[in-house]
Amino acid sequence: MHELAMAQGIINSVIETANENNATEVTEIVIEIGKLVLINPEQLSFMLDVLCENTIVENAKFDIIEIPAEIECPECKFKGNANTDDLDHYAPIIECPKCKNKRVSILNGKDCIVRNIIIEQPN
Amino acid sequence: MHKVADIEVQHNIMEANKKLANKNKEIFEKNDIFTIDIVGAIGSGKTSLIEKIIDETDYKIGVIAGDIISKFDAGRIENHGVPVVGLNTGKECHLDAHLVEHAIGDLPLSDINLLIIENVGNLICPVDFELGSHIRIVVVSATEGDDTIEKHPMIFENSDLVIINKVDLADAVGADADKMVNDAKKLNPDVNVIKTSLKTDEGFQTVLNSINKFKNNL
Ligand SMILES: Nc1nc2c(ncn2[C@@H]2O[C@H](COP(=O)(O)OP(=O)(O)OP(=O)(O)O)[C@@H](O)[C@H]2O)c(=O)[nH]1
Ligand SMILES: [Mg+2]
Ligand SMILES: [Zn+2]
Repeated sequence: MHELAMAQGIINSVIETANENNATEVTEIVIEIGKLVLINPEQLSFMLDVLCENTIVENAKFDIIEIPAEIECPECKFKGNANTDDLDHYAPIIECPKCKNKRVSILNGKDCIVRNIIIEQPN
Repeated sequence: MHKVADIEVQHNIMEANKKLANKNKEIFEKNDIFTIDIVGAIGSGKTSLIEKIIDETDYKIGVIAGDIISKFDAGRIENHGVPVVGLNTGKECHLDAHLVEHAIGDLPLSDINLLIIENVGNLICPVDFELGSHIRIVVVSATEGDDTIEKHPMIFENSDLVIINKVDLADAVGADADKMVNDAKKLNPDVNVIKTSLKTDEGFQTVLNSINKFKNNL
């Protein structure tokens, strides 16, 4: 539900990097979104399209990669991806898929990262 | 002609809020303030709980009251004679560390030892935004239906104390408060779950004991 705030953060970060690198245009943006972040990638993508109008990012293609929730279980030593729930929650279940332990450490999946951008620069 | 370049950014969008939250926490600790973030469903009893804590404890309390557009809750708190800052989030569905940072600037920090932040009524969005508080309490009530907890697992996995409020009304609405307790325990085995009624006072003392314990264990 806070896709707008996220989208604004992403666009700001892209524009800042583009300016630092004298970009004339940004053509591609790669974003990683953890499965544990409570945003809907489709809504995010819509917001990004709206916000980038009339900016250097206007014609960029957004590449949104979903990063699975990776956990580690102190009980059975399982290390890997959490299962997603069979009821239709968007978010993964925070428990060990092997031994069902809930007291697991979360290794990955809570971040939203602008990974890299492809830009055009003057010669 | 122009050339194409692939630029590494590696900018974590969640990081900005986290950094500000840590900064807020430093301010709280420098001033010896224990801070609670109260999240929960709309109308579940968040403001009522804060009012009761103000009236029935000796803490020197300050309040930050988040609301989407109104300042009703801040007005209610003000009537209890403690410093309060109302925060309007505008269109946003959650408070963030930046808004809280501003509110902190408007509070008499040296006169406060317990700061309570009432988050916007929402069981989803606040999960992603730490504010810098020491503990997070989630308040739901029996009248929202006894499947509320199952439906919003993340917030219960990310809280320190769960309050199931309005148990006085559970029978009237056909809700099973014990099922709610079990659901919360299933999601977060370490969490403290307390059934309360802020009308009859059931469970309220247990809530206070729990808060004291968190505060003393810091
Ligand atoms: N019967 C009953 N009513 C309650 C109880 N707790 C709160 N209420 C009532 O529920 C209504 C909503 O309570 P609030 O404290 O305003 O709830 P809130 O969570 O702050 O609401 P928002 O800030 O609007 O999301 C009020 O009319 C309260 O008097 C309870 O335990 N039992
Ligand atoms: Mg309220
Ligand atoms: Zn395990």
